[in-house]
Amino acid sequence: MAVEYAVEVNNVSISYRILNNISLRSSLFHKRTRDEVFEAVKDVSFSIEPGGILGIIGKNGSGKSTLLKSIAGVFSPNSGTIDLHGHSVSLMALGVGFNGELSGRKNIVLSGLLLGFSEREIEERMDDIIEFAEIGDFIDKPVRTYSSGMHSKLAFSITAMLETDIMLVDEVLSVGDERFRKKSLEKMKSLIQDKDRTVIIVSHDMKTLEELCDTVCWMHDGEIREIGEPGPVLEHYAEFMSAG
Amino acid sequence: MGLLVFILMLVVPAVFAVVIHSYLRHGDMSGRRKMVFFVVYAVLINLICFTVSWIRGVKGFDYTNMTLSYKLKYLGLGCVLGFIVPFVVCLATEDVITLGGFKRYIARFIGDLRKYLPYAMWSAKADLGAEVASSFLNWMWWLIEPVCMMLIYTFIFGFVFKAKEDYFPIFVFTGITMWGFFSRTINGSVNTVRVGKGIITKIYMPKYILLLSKMFVNTFKMMISFGVIVIMMAVYRVPVSLNLLWVIPILMILFLFTFGVGSIMMHYGVYVNDLGYITGIVLQMLMYLSGVFYSVSNRIPEPFGDILERFNPVACIMSSLRSALLYRSTPMLGLLAVWTLLSVILIALGVFTIYSNENSYVKVI
Repeated sequence: MAVEYAVEVNNVSISYRILNNISLRSSLFHKRTRDEVFEAVKDVSFSIEPGGILGIIGKNGSGKSTLLKSIAGVFSPNSGTIDLHGHSVSLMALGVGFNGELSGRKNIVLSGLLLGFSEREIEERMDDIIEFAEIGDFIDKPVRTYSSGMHSKLAFSITAMLETDIMLVDEVLSVGDERFRKKSLEKMKSLIQDKDRTVIIVSHDMKTLEELCDTVCWMHDGEIREIGEPGPVLEHYAEFMSAG
Repeated sequence: MGLLVFILMLVVPAVFAVVIHSYLRHGDMSGRRKMVFFVVYAVLINLICFTVSWIRGVKGFDYTNMTLSYKLKYLGLGCVLGFIVPFVVCLATEDVITLGGFKRYIARFIGDLRKYLPYAMWSAKADLGAEVASSFLNWMWWLIEPVCMMLIYTFIFGFVFKAKEDYFPIFVFTGITMWGFFSRTINGSVNTVRVGKGIITKIYMPKYILLLSKMFVNTFKMMISFGVIVIMMAVYRVPVSLNLLWVIPILMILFLFTFGVGSIMMHYGVYVNDLGYITGIVLQMLMYLSGVFYSVSNRIPEPFGDILERFNPVACIMSSLRSALLYRSTPMLGLLAVWTLLSVILIALGVFTIYSNENSYVKVI
């Protein structure tokens, strides 16, 4: 029997073109200079069953966030396919961009609409989000007046409360002050443990990954070095890192 | 001089066509292929132009006796054809470009519109609200600004330069309103993607939705100005007729045309950093050529005024609206139809470009 996967990533490669400055002259006469290409993700494939939790670990610049972003659809891969089988997806990353001129409340609605919720569904969850974010009266003030802590608290609350089928978490587990951090970790755990929710976590924190994930993928220079049970993979990774 | 215009009128449309052709092929055309297509287009377009002028009664093609007016009209028609013909030729010759591909693009465009329109609307509404909340006189500014502009222009052109148009304040006010919509959108489109950076690095959306949302804001402001125009018309007792109804489709054409140009500018604004300056200058020039505060066809000497009004879309849309609104006459429908078609093609080009490039926007900004 074929297994229905929630996320299927097949032979995905993503490259950044390091753009040379475009001058009017070169674009008019079409002297095509070869753009340098930097391959951030090379031929990566994996799949996750519904309800699975995948952790991705790797040193800086190994293509983790790039991969996550392309699963979220921010940009599509240069080759290969990413199939989400129609599930809704949200990317939870530190430092979300809000429209600074608008109030927190309006930004919640806008984010919700982009995530594919209707206005009514957002209204229903509005109070939960505001309560969870703990930013008090600031919710009706323009977002540009927020402190960076409040900013990320609101961002976290929005993605945590507007629940999508697939959640992509990019090192978000260290949000706000000590108290909020604990609370958000709790919330994350309860979200993650939901049977139907598929989660991909990118983190450098091995403890969290070992605790939360049922599969861990170690990425190195855009390729998958190892994928499998958290225990051994993380051990190998730790060895590799300490060996330098 | 005459020779120069003559050469231009034969060559420029073909250049246009080749540029668009290579555009449709994502720019991967070899130099030789380009030359071949240049010749093909030059022959094809000039043949059509010549046939048209033959049908309209110019039997010969003797360049020494040609009037400047004829040459300019020929050039204008050629440029318009330069826009349309590549699509047909591409469909026929390039196997990468098929009717099915076009259909898929259209289906995707409509699907995306349906999905993201609520966001665009809401975002526009929120932007309007935010704009109001942070200023002292809040929404009054939407009225004060255009009305003051109208007073300035009425004074300068009505009294100092003695413009003779009927209902001159309303005449100027419609011009300013429509021009304001157009130039605000185009100016804004250049850095739309940069401004929306916070959102688009976080979640996928078709990038032209950002532009649409900005356009909704501008449309709303334009509608307020049109409210003022209605009041002014009542005050001046402008006689109206059924032709007034043409105002609605004309405004739609303006919207389509602006969206088409805006989406293309938006794409290039991502890559070319100094595009803002260029659009500023071009818009300034276009403003004076579009007859915001004078009537192009009456004030510019024959034959240029007439040609300018036909081949400058903004001028064409503006004068059509004025004739429907103020002078109880039916606008030039054939001309408007052509510009509608061209607007749709511009939109197709713009949306096509954005779809095929938007994935790299995030990497660039």
